[in-house]
Amino acid sequence: MVVEVTETEFASLVSERAADPKRQHELLELLREDNELYDQRGAATTARMRGWVLHNLSLCSLTDEALIFVLEELDTGTDPYLVAAAARALRSYARPTSAFAPFVMRAITHIRYRNEPVSFESYGEYGDGDNVTTPVQELLTTLRWLGANAEPVLSELEQLRAQPDRLPRTLLASIDEAIKAISGKEAVDNDFCCSLPLGLKDRFSWTSNSRRGCEPVESVIFEDHNNELISFGDFFQGQPSIVVFFYTRCDNPLKCSLSITKLARIQESLLERGLADKINTAAITYDPEFDSSERIRGYGQNRSVQLNTRHRMLRACDGIDSVRKHFRLGVNFIESLVNRHRVEVYILDSRGRIASVFERIHWNEQEVVERAIEILHEESEEKSQARNKKNATASTLGTMASLGVAFFPKCPICWAAYLSVFGIAGFDRIPYAPWLQPVLALVMLINLASVWLRSRATHRMLSFCFAAGGAAVIIMSKLSHGGKKFAIWGVLLTLAGSVLSALGTRKKRQLGKETEGDSWFFDLFRRDGFTRTKDQTTKSTA
Amino acid sequence: MTTKLKATKKSKAKSAKPRSTRAAMSVATSDKETVKARVAAMAEVPLAVCESDKDLQSMLSVLRDQAQPIEVRLAALQSIQAASFSVVAFESCRSDYIATLRKVATDPDLEMRQRVLGILAREKDGFAQRKLLEGLENPEKELVPPEKALQLLSYDIHAEAYPIARKIVNNPPNEEAKREALRLLAADAKSAPVFEKLLRDKNETAEIRQVSAAALQGLKPEKLQESAREILLDDSDYDEIKATSLTALTQFGDKDQVNKDAALKKHVNRISTKGGAKVKRTARQFISKYGR
Repeated sequence: MVVEVTETEFASLVSERAADPKRQHELLELLREDNELYDQRGAATTARMRGWVLHNLSLCSLTDEALIFVLEELDTGTDPYLVAAAARALRSYARPTSAFAPFVMRAITHIRYRNEPVSFESYGEYGDGDNVTTPVQELLTTLRWLGANAEPVLSELEQLRAQPDRLPRTLLASIDEAIKAISGKEAVDNDFCCSLPLGLKDRFSWTSNSRRGCEPVESVIFEDHNNELISFGDFFQGQPSIVVFFYTRCDNPLKCSLSITKLARIQESLLERGLADKINTAAITYDPEFDSSERIRGYGQNRSVQLNTRHRMLRACDGIDSVRKHFRLGVNFIESLVNRHRVEVYILDSRGRIASVFERIHWNEQEVVERAIEILHEESEEKSQARNKKNATASTLGTMASLGVAFFPKCPICWAAYLSVFGIAGFDRIPYAPWLQPVLALVMLINLASVWLRSRATHRMLSFCFAAGGAAVIIMSKLSHGGKKFAIWGVLLTLAGSVLSALGTRKKRQLGKETEGDSWFFDLFRRDGFTRTKDQTTKSTA
Repeated sequence: MTTKLKATKKSKAKSAKPRSTRAAMSVATSDKETVKARVAAMAEVPLAVCESDKDLQSMLSVLRDQAQPIEVRLAALQSIQAASFSVVAFESCRSDYIATLRKVATDPDLEMRQRVLGILAREKDGFAQRKLLEGLENPEKELVPPEKALQLLSYDIHAEAYPIARKIVNNPPNEEAKREALRLLAADAKSAPVFEKLLRDKNETAEIRQVSAAALQGLKPEKLQESAREILLDDSDYDEIKATSLTALTQFGDKDQVNKDAALKKHVNRISTKGGAKVKRTARQFISKYGR
């Protein structure tokens, strides 16, 4: 739905919210790319509107919630008006912090060759008169505001000052002032050095605690770089995935182009760690109407992206809408063309649910890989726990069956003995069903078979020996007259066998992580094959 | 005679001797010099423009000053624009230059406006885009002719020019404006059906249909192949469009699909002997690629 608000009305709306302290937080909504007010606007109009919001934030006090948008603009912005507005807005933050300095210096590096005049005198005004400023001028003023907190970037600033011919002479004085301010007093936040305000990091990189299912997009069909069709469910379910969004016509080199280049580095890292076939990667275009398979393939290949069945570049066949809604993408459009988007990377778990998100600020490739590995391990752990539970249940059932066989009354004398123990009042609680004994015997045999299979898998036969011995003793005790006193030994042996079997399975799964720690007791039953595996494990760990 | 010859030689030697940049700058910015001398001097100063604030401001002042001869102002613009190609050296001048261009964008002289808006549009300048769009929506505010405005807006695909370009295609003020609107829409994925329709429309001019073919190749190559085939099989269509269709199929056609298309091959075979010269030539190229 297109919201019919003129730019003038928008400017008034922003000014009203900024003037009312109770409504200032509403300015944040206007910084979200997916806000409907930006729908069907050109990129230049969107820049004017967002720049005006940032400018108005500079007139209020910048909150932690708004800070992320300001830092995003400094980190990835290439529009002079927006960068200048962000630099101004940062100065309205409660206190200067050294963590801001690298953002400001990076912005100077990015924008210095587009240092154009801008004006904040009124909405939509472009700098062509006397009341103009420039993004570099605003950034230098912000460095001065940071004062000694900008010490980490002092050397870079001095290098810039060492090239006087390269900078507008009108700015030399500002650089000198900034250097003087930085070299002057001591930093305010020495113990806070280089870290972002508490909680801010969680706003551009967070792990989802309650994961939404991917049912709404499960059937969405994508076409990949090779014209092959695949559904969301088929590609993203089964193992974790790293998903990057982009479009080939993005003209900000710090966004899509860089994100895809970084995706290629992520793939390299996965390959080096031997995880290339355990974690999928995908790049999904925001602009599927224009970005054909050939275009996305070329875009990826030119940035060294490895493309195969586990690593794909995708375009949604029926348009981006459902995908946009599911991921709540930070993007807006004029017709099918993107007018503004944020940097965003998602890590999906093996059920295709969003497990982790990196957004707005430039993400670190290794951090993304580590997070994906955590999710991979977390899932392995969940599976392992489920398997252990299953094994424990099977062992318990098997043991119970052995107990049942051992102590099941088979003759009137037995019944009399049991009745004397329980008393006549407990008669109705004694289970008597003639068919139960063969069933229990069968369950005992199944337990024996299960322990045998597990022993084979773990190459530890001790557990099976115990369980088989136990079963033999129980059977013998049932067959021989007066052998009942041995039945309890049979039960104990069966129990020991089951416990050892369950322990052995868990031990084997931990071998990837551990190289030592198995007791001599288990070593006794290792086979050659297993010893070899252990040696290899030791070697790989070393 | 000898004296005259000596004098000419002396004069030639004098004029050949390169003058210093300072001297050239002084001539270029002086009101007392002739227009011709100033224009010539302007051509010598580009690299010196950013060497001192004074020189830069003098040149920008000439560019802004409507009282200066237009030839001199255009030469000043050309000179500063040449300096801007050295991005690093020009860094210190950029903000003043852009501010001046925005002022001059509404100059009374059409050529000046066109050149300045052209430079700003290539920089994807929001100010220039807004002025151009305003002119297209409201002819009273027009700074350049609509076809020029559309051409300049097409430098940035993110400018919100598609809706107005579609309006112009449907109701063009002139044929050039329609052509430029179509060129602009060539990057708009939603306009593929429009191009398909125009390409098949025999009432459209050859130029419009050729622009449509080129646009369709970028947006929906498979649709171009379909349309090109239909055009070639239609004996009543024009040779020029047939030649374009043949080129499209020869260069970008799906090889397997074309190879299997006996009817098309047979038709092209016939065209190669009976059509006009241009069609015959392109038909031969087609045959050499796909066979008879």
